[in-house]
Amino acid sequence: MHVGGVYKLIAVYINPRLTGAARQQQIQMLIQKFHLNQPVYVQYFYWLASVLQGNLGYTNTPVFSGPVTQAIALFFPNTALLAVLGGILTWLLGIPLGTWSAVRRDKPDDVAIRVFSYTLYGMPIYLIAVILIIIFAVWLKVLPISGTVSARLLAGLPWYKNGISYPTHVLLIDALIHGDWYIALDALEHIILPSLTIALAVMAGVINILRASMLEVLEQDYVRFARSKGLPERIVINKHARPTAMFPVYTNFAYTVAGLLGGVVIVETVFNYPGIGYWLTQSMLNNDMGGIMAGTLLFGIIFVTTSLILDIVFALKDPRVRLG
Amino acid sequence: MSAGREPIVTVRNLRLWYYTRRGVYKALNGVDLEVMRGEVLGVAGESGCGKSTLGLTIMGLLPRNAAIVDGEVLIDGFDVVKPLREYYKKAKKFRPDKNEDALKRLHKEMTRIRGVKVTMVFQEPMTALNPVMPVGYQIAEVLLQHNMSLLAKRRLARARATKDDVKEALNFLRANDYAGLIEYVKAKGLEGLEDQMLAIWRRRDLHDLVKEIRILNMCCDPVNPIIERGLKYTARTNKLPAAPVIRQLVRRELVKEGYRKAAEFLGLLGMPEPEKVVRMYPHELSGGMRQRVVIATAMINNPELVILDEPTSALDVTVQAGILELLNELKQQTNAAFIFISHDLSVLYQVSDRVAIMYAGKVVEVGPRDAVFREPKHPYTQMLMEAVPTLEPHELKGIKGEVPDLRNPPKGCMFHPRCPYAMPICREREPPMVNLGNGHKVACWLYAGGERK
Amino acid sequence: MAKGGLTSRILTPERKLSLQVFFSNKLAVVGLVIVLAYVADALIVQFAPWLIGLRHPFEVIPDYSNPVPQPPSWRHPFGTTYPGIDLLRAVIKAIRFDLGLSVAVVVPGALLGIVIGIVATYFGGWVDDVLMRLTDIFFSVPYLVLAIAIGYALGRTITSMIIALIIVWWPLYARYTRSVTLQVKELTFIEAARAAGASNYKIMFRHILPNALPPVLVQMSMDLGTIMLVISGLAFIGFLPVANIPELGYLTTLGLNYINTAPWTVLVPGVFIVIFAVSVYLLGMGLMDVINPRRRSSL
Repeated sequence: MHVGGVYKLIAVYINPRLTGAARQQQIQMLIQKFHLNQPVYVQYFYWLASVLQGNLGYTNTPVFSGPVTQAIALFFPNTALLAVLGGILTWLLGIPLGTWSAVRRDKPDDVAIRVFSYTLYGMPIYLIAVILIIIFAVWLKVLPISGTVSARLLAGLPWYKNGISYPTHVLLIDALIHGDWYIALDALEHIILPSLTIALAVMAGVINILRASMLEVLEQDYVRFARSKGLPERIVINKHARPTAMFPVYTNFAYTVAGLLGGVVIVETVFNYPGIGYWLTQSMLNNDMGGIMAGTLLFGIIFVTTSLILDIVFALKDPRVRLG
Repeated sequence: MSAGREPIVTVRNLRLWYYTRRGVYKALNGVDLEVMRGEVLGVAGESGCGKSTLGLTIMGLLPRNAAIVDGEVLIDGFDVVKPLREYYKKAKKFRPDKNEDALKRLHKEMTRIRGVKVTMVFQEPMTALNPVMPVGYQIAEVLLQHNMSLLAKRRLARARATKDDVKEALNFLRANDYAGLIEYVKAKGLEGLEDQMLAIWRRRDLHDLVKEIRILNMCCDPVNPIIERGLKYTARTNKLPAAPVIRQLVRRELVKEGYRKAAEFLGLLGMPEPEKVVRMYPHELSGGMRQRVVIATAMINNPELVILDEPTSALDVTVQAGILELLNELKQQTNAAFIFISHDLSVLYQVSDRVAIMYAGKVVEVGPRDAVFREPKHPYTQMLMEAVPTLEPHELKGIKGEVPDLRNPPKGCMFHPRCPYAMPICREREPPMVNLGNGHKVACWLYAGGERK
Repeated sequence: MAKGGLTSRILTPERKLSLQVFFSNKLAVVGLVIVLAYVADALIVQFAPWLIGLRHPFEVIPDYSNPVPQPPSWRHPFGTTYPGIDLLRAVIKAIRFDLGLSVAVVVPGALLGIVIGIVATYFGGWVDDVLMRLTDIFFSVPYLVLAIAIGYALGRTITSMIIALIIVWWPLYARYTRSVTLQVKELTFIEAARAAGASNYKIMFRHILPNALPPVLVQMSMDLGTIMLVISGLAFIGFLPVANIPELGYLTTLGLNYINTAPWTVLVPGVFIVIFAVSVYLLGMGLMDVINPRRRSSL
């Protein structure tokens, strides 16, 4: 760790009223206390030990200063909501588009969908965000582009204290629970654009994979067999072709989640959306070790857990894996 | 072997071309064929002669690069290939996606026929079955789509029947009085019961006592009254009730009944432990079992025509024998017609009533089985018969030359480059089909000098 | 076409078929043309910037006398962005920068991944296990986050960004090569080579590698686009604490305050990334068609 960083790390703890020799003494004492004079791997060991005991350190960024655990409680629910909504939108839009594109092969609809998905695929997430902003906030002026909710609405609310809403910490859901439709609507408006951005970014890949997979499946014997039974085309596609075609989508999902987590970082930054990604970016810009270490750990855990859960779910869906 | 005299399928002058990146393959070049009700027509030929394509065309299951250049395929008067033929005649340049539009229209119209009048058994049972669905569902799906009424009736019959009703029905069965049973069932308003009872009664792998016990159990199985009303509606109209929740409940009941009937049918086909098998997935079954599943799917709704495309080629010989025996039984018990496509002449001999020989997209000889096998008239047929290995030692003769490249079929008779009797006219004009009497027809200039058709 | 001689030794029938398959795919050809245009841009800016009148090819020159973004005009065909940077020039320089970065990540990453993949799979046993676990570890970290972490550890420079991305990316190539090697390892010609006394090293790199290359090359070309998206994303959130770098993501941030009044400031740099990523993807799909034996012979 370079020297400048070390100073910054302990800057929080230095009593500003000390000067000269006393200040130096306190600095030395802090360095000892935090093992900053030891080699990197030893420091890592100390960090890991304290993490396992529940102490994740402190973060010091413009958006939040204080214990990391508090920061997580503050930021994580927002990111979770964003990711879930993004995922739902991807599913609702991406699967039908992918299937339609394969069924109407080479027709104008297919060409349009392919142009759409190839273009999206080549767009960096921030560009998608910016374009959505231009369309909805600048031209149409219908949606806000910053934060989770308009701040003035939050004054004097019994279930909102210190930036955390109760009971679920997720503003939108809590507003619904408490029956405050006005705030809920406002929260919804704030979250549409960010989740739509994420959904569009992920959708491109889903559509591409699903289309290719469907085209392959549609040539299979069992699709022909299903038709030979006199089943209407709608049932052949939805009950026979698509379920099997979805498997490559499932297996690719873990890879998609990785990209998704990176995307969350950028999207939250563009929209000033107070989630973990936003916090991580701020930590990076301010060289805040506590934030970066905890953020990296958190993202790693999220990724591994999600991949594991998804793997299990998809394995359950495939009868060949379960029984064979 | 009561073969009717009227045809169920008539193919006239069928010409089909496959458009591929490597050229245009003229797969069918004027096929004329008739399939009579209740008969087994064997279609023989080497690979590439177009027999599989013919089967697929009758079902309307063509890929999008298959163009119908001319001809008709009439199933009970309905012309299967009309949309494709009309597209081709109008189009200046063949485009697969436009052809696909015509194909999709065809699929829509054929949903009335497929699964009801005509069904197909594919060559590879492993790929024909959907790997992520239980096989019982795949069999029952035919009934769930086309004949929900039957399933509803069965369920209702079991609900309404009393112990006494069932005992009396059993008496009819013991006396082998099937007609009487059907009347009895109708009189008592228990339609659907005979279907289940006969299915059990006809099985040969169960002991008589077991059968009787099972039949006696087909009573006193009440249904929730709400579902019962829905079932009555379905039994009457062959559709699901419209009300949202009732609809799902009725459908679930019908699916269960479908599994039951599928198990019964599999039992008839000689499948061991059919009740267990219907819940299993295709990869858990052996090749012979899978093929029985496919055959069950094809036959469960009593079609008038079943097309079998090389049904035994993917199976080993002992299994093959079992399937052929099965087919012979089905032939006796039902009045469906079968088209049996194979390259294996010995197999065809065992099952067919009539045989058609195809070469390079044309039918070169057709007639009663014994006539064609014992006295082949076409040079190609003659050479085929000599090339079959039999138990009596005889000199195996191959056929010189190669199958023609269908992108550039020969002028005149397709076979003339390899025919030892080729005459000048064979190189110039296609021979017409000549009737030799007794339903035996040949397309060869050697005979065309004689009687005309 | 001359019979015999050099031409028909280079243009074997197989290669001719490959070219035919590729060029029959119009989209792939378009992709190829655009990618070549970008490469040409990069080369010219790198080696002969005077050809197109660039006096400062490696950085963007602000003009504080006129900092407000100007709309596209004859003097500035793409307009200007804050603070007074001509977008046309900026984009031309940025293409070279971004493309260079992408290549700097993809090529070493691929090399590393291929070598590890072949070695691990060929030797099998515990070597394979250990290396595959290693691959899994790196596979399980979201790349943006790891880049940020490494940026913190090593300082946020271009080098550390490249290193971070290489670390995240090589597992993909290791996996790819692994699956190909598994297939090829069991083929008889490997046994024949071994019987003829070839050393392990030779077998791995002269027999297995050429078979693994085609799909890997396709993946590499598509990754050039993906990596460029990641790099510009990192630049966008401010990873590089430097001003005036010719980088497409960075250029986008310059216009963020002017979205309302001057949307071209954010759209122009973005469009050039999209064009490249899409072209490289189409090119990759075209190459996939070429190497896929099924697609070569059917409709």
